[in-house]
This record gives sequence, structure tokens and C-alpha cells, in this order.
Amino acid sequence: MKTSNSKMKRRWGMAIDLDKCNGCGQCSISCAQENNMPIFEDDSDVPKRVSFLDLMKVTNDRDASYPDVKVAFIPKMCQQCEGNDPLNPTPPCVSVCPAVATDVGDDGVVSQIWSRCIGCRYCQTACPYEARAFNWWKPKYESTFKKSLNSDVSIASRGTIVKCTFCSHIWKRERDKAAANGELDINAVTYSPACVTSCPTGAMVFGDLNDPASEISMLSRDKRAFRLVHTIDEKSPEEQKKLMKIKNYPNPKVYYLSSQKWIRDMMRFNSGK
Amino acid sequence: MKKIERKELLMMTGGAVVGGLTGYVLSGAPFLMFQDLAEWTQDQYVPLKGEIKLLQSICQSCTTKCEISVRMVADRAVKVETSNAACPLGQASLQLLYHPERIDKPLKRTGNKGKGRFVPVSWESAMADISGKMNALVKNNKKDAIAAINKDINLSSELLEKLITSTGSTNVYYESSLNALTMSALGGVVDYDFNKADYVLSFGAKLFEGWGVPGTMNKVLASWPGSGKKLVQVDTNCSRTTSLADEWVPVKAGTEPVLAMGIANYLIKEKKLISAGEGFAKWAQYVYQYDMATTAKLTGVSEDRIKALAEAFYGARNPMAVAGRGAHGVSSSASEIIAVYALNTLVRSTSVSLKQYTGMGTGKNPAGIDDFIKNGNFELLFINEADPVYKSVLGKDLAAKMEKAFVVAMMPLINDTALYADYVLPSLTFLETLQSDGQTVLKPYASAKHAGDIIIELAGKIDAAKGAFPWTSYLDAVKQAGNTRGVAGFSFKVDKLKEQLSAFKKQKADAEYPLSLIPVEMPLVGDGDGMAFPYVLKNIDSDSFMLGKMKVLMNKATAKKEGVSEGSSIKIISERGKIGSVKVHITDTIAPDVVAVPLGFGHMAYTKYAEKKGVNPKEIMAADIDPVTGAANWWGTRVKIS
Repeated sequence: MKTSNSKMKRRWGMAIDLDKCNGCGQCSISCAQENNMPIFEDDSDVPKRVSFLDLMKVTNDRDASYPDVKVAFIPKMCQQCEGNDPLNPTPPCVSVCPAVATDVGDDGVVSQIWSRCIGCRYCQTACPYEARAFNWWKPKYESTFKKSLNSDVSIASRGTIVKCTFCSHIWKRERDKAAANGELDINAVTYSPACVTSCPTGAMVFGDLNDPASEISMLSRDKRAFRLVHTIDEKSPEEQKKLMKIKNYPNPKVYYLSSQKWIRDMMRFNSGK
Repeated sequence: MKKIERKELLMMTGGAVVGGLTGYVLSGAPFLMFQDLAEWTQDQYVPLKGEIKLLQSICQSCTTKCEISVRMVADRAVKVETSNAACPLGQASLQLLYHPERIDKPLKRTGNKGKGRFVPVSWESAMADISGKMNALVKNNKKDAIAAINKDINLSSELLEKLITSTGSTNVYYESSLNALTMSALGGVVDYDFNKADYVLSFGAKLFEGWGVPGTMNKVLASWPGSGKKLVQVDTNCSRTTSLADEWVPVKAGTEPVLAMGIANYLIKEKKLISAGEGFAKWAQYVYQYDMATTAKLTGVSEDRIKALAEAFYGARNPMAVAGRGAHGVSSSASEIIAVYALNTLVRSTSVSLKQYTGMGTGKNPAGIDDFIKNGNFELLFINEADPVYKSVLGKDLAAKMEKAFVVAMMPLINDTALYADYVLPSLTFLETLQSDGQTVLKPYASAKHAGDIIIELAGKIDAAKGAFPWTSYLDAVKQAGNTRGVAGFSFKVDKLKEQLSAFKKQKADAEYPLSLIPVEMPLVGDGDGMAFPYVLKNIDSDSFMLGKMKVLMNKATAKKEGVSEGSSIKIISERGKIGSVKVHITDTIAPDVVAVPLGFGHMAYTKYAEKKGVNPKEIMAADIDPVTGAANWWGTRVKIS
């Protein structure tokens, strides 16, 4: 979809300051609550459980020894890739979907419609960040747990792929609310996903990457900013152009910030040169 | 070869088709197909829609009084919208509110204690039975046989304390939380002003992992980077707090108080500082035993570094020393709390002050729960949301004593302690007490009542307590609760702590038990309260717990020395017993000669989500009772592995 002829100017992105994250886990709980995560008998069963946001605990204990070690937490969700050209976004998952269950809108959000999914799992294979989950079992909610289900998010059936959509249902709700109040310019409406709203230390920031004055834009250009396992970021702009002619890179819209060299090295997946 | 006739071929084909079809039908495959079809087309639960409203209120569940907002769809609460959900539960509180295993009616025990067999009874009969037992004890002059254990300081615990003390008993205890321990050791809780302080020296307090009031600490963390403030963390293992700190001072397991004494030594000797605390001169005599060389030898911190720490602490404009080892589960000896607090009084820190809750402290010793379990006796025990059978190192002894007594538990979910109760009364979660325009918005779950209301109603039936309870509901009482007042001074309590103060020096490697067992806490699980919630289970780090198997953490060198490798199954043995088997995860975030065991696992009850997952290390942790606080010092138990 060409955004150049669209009236929408938004390009939603997220920045997560790992120097401010204490791993409290509120983002993950908040995400599960907002998006009606299925509840199994034992959700510590990692292969079986379904979640959109993984709070990964990482450490440099492979390279460092006590007491030069450090630990950190990295909240990881769908990185909302846009491919080489922001005006013509091509996330790796979208091109492989045979059912148009996942698509990218003119607000930059990579959507996923559970009920359209046929369960072929091509997108899960194509995703470079393992951000997609497959419902191997029917999502269940034991008796009264059903009461806390969010009516804005539908319950997925068994055999479908689900993933983080930057809580686009909140975006829709806010737009509807604005329209009901007579505000028809969608570019005047803002929102923030559940994880960002619940972050108690302000480590997560959400906003419009197209707006150069927004906090998220400034953070994305920060010296501490980097993206998850995205080697192309290390190259010079000329080299980047050359490489992008050959290959489509994911180019996520989720930025991580850290002043810690070990985290940056680890997340860039290089040897730290 | 015989030629096959056309007729025969047709019959054979027909037979194969019929046989195949019969097999297919009998295999059950068509039924599964229909079931799938039904599931895919019809059995899709659709959450009920309704008007979306935002409930904005002030949370009354503790003394912090946080603002809280909850998104409602019609009468259902679907999301906690507050950014700083300050409680350890925070966002997960909806999973408590709508937990399928919440107690809906008062329960009376039918089977043996510990079996967890109950029948529902009416409120009237339960209250009549309980008040009858209580009145009889008062009449027979057995007042001290009435006791209560609270979870933490809040409105219902203040009311329960009032109820117990008005019958003449002083047996009111709190789980050994940071507040309770400090209250016992210093005579008040320490009010730390993190906004004012510019140099924070933390002795094992996991400041950003649940310690104190997490809501306040999160705000501190948000404002910390770039503010020029400095956090120095004294700790044994690498945690998120040590990684966030500007400086980490690794110390040998359990030697945090020694370092505090060493720094005090330097400040007293070199800087000629004195503390205004009562008994300072006597205490200083003990401090002199911890000169630089001794402190360095015991803690493993170099002499130069100790001096540098002391100088930095002395030189800072607003220094502050923080005590209370741990995050949610806190265990510190009285002499440790006093030694750390003494540093603040030596430099006359203006960022700390001692405060006392007005409703508290009428009991004997708020934190004295372990002393009470070991030496006390009771015939009637109230449990207010607490889980001492699970959380106290002497939990099993308490369970044994509870088997002989009449026990009343008030809580929303049955926990390990409730298994030994005669009555379990359903109480409300904090979300159900939120008010908007003076009205509670969420309907109480089934026939559950606010713990405060239960106590007020019970007090009305107790002859000795009637007069002390002028309220009709907790809503009246709430207006008077939660006030604090300053505490004049504190005492070093040297006479009581003599043994402890000199025992630090004797700490050395034990040939039989060469390792130290140190607890680690995980986000949201804390010291076990989070385990009932599936969304918390989704978050557990798979290096610590996965598929029902708990892992303990060990340093590379120590693992090599002990001959274990990644994934080995081991048993951990202390003087008090053994736990196992658990798996080993090798990581250098753990200090040498230490086994780090996650807290919060190994519940006997507390819903099917928490039940029988992992092991509870409290069973084998040290149970030496502190002479001042009356709580056991379980942090850092000598163990061996096999």
C-alpha cells in the first residue's frame, strides 16, 4: 500500500530505554491482560504458552566472570518491520502470507487478523524476531477469568497465528472516540499501547516517527539507540544504500536504547568490534 | 495361476471399500472431525460488550494511597490503566479479582487439618462460633492464648490489632517484612527521602526489584539517569539493582553488616563522628573490633575500597545508607539494620527519619513471628491474608501448633496456611474497595466481605472489644487509619545484640557445609504471592523455572569444584534438612561458594497454578531467632549439595 497518496501521516514506532528498565514485568502482564492471552494449566510451559511480549532476562556471563557481570531485561514484541522503503513498507511476514491475514497499514502497523489466518505459519518462519506465536491449543479462560476479557480484542481460535499489533484496537478506539467528538482529522489523534501505558519508569516511549519533533523521533536518532539484531545499522549510509539494493532488510520500528556496551554488542549479534 | 473373474474383482474392491469405511467410522476420526468443525465454527467465546468507563480512585490498601484507574466494560473490570501500579501485584490484580478459585462463602473445615477439606457455611454460624470461642477464652482469663498474624500494615491489620489488644492479649505479629523488621529493630520505620539524597549506599536492598514501596522506587529510577546522583550497591550476587547501580561492591555472602561496621569504624576513628543513638559508646566498642584489616578479610572488599566508600559517604552532600536485604522477601538481623541506620546518624543524614504508624506498635513485637512460633502458645489464632506456614522458615512448626488450636483465616484465595484453618473467611481484594463518589464500584465477589468489616462485625460480638469499635463499616474506620508520627530517637540495643555483634567475626568457611544458600527473587513472583496468577507464570525466566522444574544457580568455578554441570540434578542439605531434587543452572552472576535458590516456589496450596511447582527453600533455611526482632535470620544458610 502506498502511503504517499494517503491522508495519514503517522508512522508509529517505539523506543525502549534499557537503562531505565528494572524488569518489573508490568508491560508483559499489561499486554496479556489487554490482548486476552490464553490461560493454560501451566503457563511456565514455554513451548506451549502464548504471549505477545517476552520479557527476556539477559546477562553477559558468557564473556565476563564474577564480579564483572551484569544482567538486564529486554522486553521483546513484534518489531513492526517496514522493509527498505518506509513509503512502501514490505515487512518479511506480509509478503509470504497467502491469506492476507497480515498486512501493513498506512500507519506503519503490521496487522494480524486472527480469524483470517489459515495457520500455514509461513509468517512465523519468515519473522526474524520470533515475535509471532501459534495457537497449538485452543485458547482457554477458566470460568471467572472470562470476566476480565477485553471486548476490543477477539479471541483467537486454535490453529492461528497471533502477534503484537501495537495495540491497534486502542488506536481504533481513540479514532472512533475522536470522530464521535467531531474530530475527523485522524492525524490529531494519538494513543499508546498497553505496555507503554503501564511502564512505571518511563522506559518505554511510543509515538510518531514521521514527526521529527516527537520524543520517539529524537530517541531513534539518539547515540544510544540501536535495533535488535540489525547488522546493517553498523554500515555507512552509502554502504547501506548499496546493500538495500541487493536485499530487503527488515528495518524494525522498535528502537532500543542502552549505554551498556555489552547489551549493544549482544543485541547487534556481533563480536563487539 | 488362477484367473480372477470380473465378478470376483468387483467383490474384492467392494469388500475393501466397506472394510475401509467401517474402520474409518470405528476409529473415531469422523467424530473428531465434527468436533473440530464445531470448535472452529461455533465454540468461539466472545467477550461481552458494554459501555466503557474509567474508574478513577485512590487505593486504600496500604499507607501509600496511590491513585489508580481501572477500565470497566459495563460492570467488568478489564484493565488496570494506571502507569505506576505500585503494588507488587499491580497489573496482575485483575487475575486475583477474577480468580476462578476465589473463596465465595465462609468455609468450615471437615477433614483433618492440612488436608484442605472444607464445607461452605453461613456468615452467621461462622461468626457465632468464632466469637463464642473468643469470649470463652477471655472469660477464662486466657487472654494471651489469642493471637493474630497480619501480612502487612494496612487498615484491616490495624483493626485486627485493635481487636486482639482490646481483649488484653499482646500477641499481634506481622510477617517479617521490611516494615515489621525495622519497626522491631529501630522502634519505627525508616522514611527514606530518595529525592533529597545524592549518594545512596544500599546494603543488599534490591531497590529496583520490589523493595520498599515499588511505586516510589520506580519513580526514583525514572528520575535517576543524568541527575548526578550516585547509587552504590553492596551485594553478593549480580541482580538488576547491582547492574543499574553506579557502583557494585561485591561482598562475601552475609557480610553486609560487617562492611557497615567497618565504614562506621572509619567514620568514628578518622572523622571523629558520633551518633546520637542511645548506647552509642557501648556500640562503638564493638565497632572498634572491625578495623580496616578485619573488615577487608571478612567481606572480601579491599581496605582501600572500604576507605574510599567511607570517604565518599562522608563527603557527599546528602548521603543515605539503606538497609533491608532483599526485595519482597526481606530478612535482616537487628544488628544489621542498626549498623546501617547508625551510618545515617553518624553523618547526620537529613534524608532519613524514623516514623511510626499510629495504629501500630501496641503489640509486643511486630516482627516477632518466628519467636512466637517457636516459644509462644495460642489457642485461637487469626490469620489476616498472611501465609506464615509457607513464608516462615518455621512454617512446619507453626502448622503443627495450628493443628491443636482454633484458627481463623481471612483471605481471598486459600494458601498454605489456610489448609490448617478451622474457618476460612472470604475477604475482598483491594480493587473491590475502590471508591468513586463515595461508592464502591465493583461488586464484592459472591459473599466475600472486607477484612475490616469482618473484624468490626466480630468485635461487636466480643464483650471485651465492643467499646473500642465505634464504626459500622471499614469505610468509617478508613478515615482515621494510616497516619504516621515521628519517633524521638533510637537505641543501639547493645546488651541484647552482644552475641550477634561478635558473631560476625567468627564467620568462616565450614568444612561440613561449604556453601551459602542465598535466595533470589524473580520479577512478579516475589516471595511467592505472584504464583497464583497465570500471567505471572508466563513471565518466569526459563533459566530459573520451566515445566515444573526449578533451577538453582551456581557460579562456574563453584560448580566445577562441586562436580556439577548445567542441568545436573542435586539435593541441597543444611542442618535443618534437605530439599530436592532441583536442577543446576550455571551462571557467573552468582558469587563463588554460593547456591542461589529462587523464592516463591513450592506451595502446597494457593490455587492449582501455584501448587506443587518447585520447592520451598525456607524449609532448610537457618532458623536462628534474632534476640531483638524475634524473626529468624534466614538469609545466607550454610549448606552442602549432593
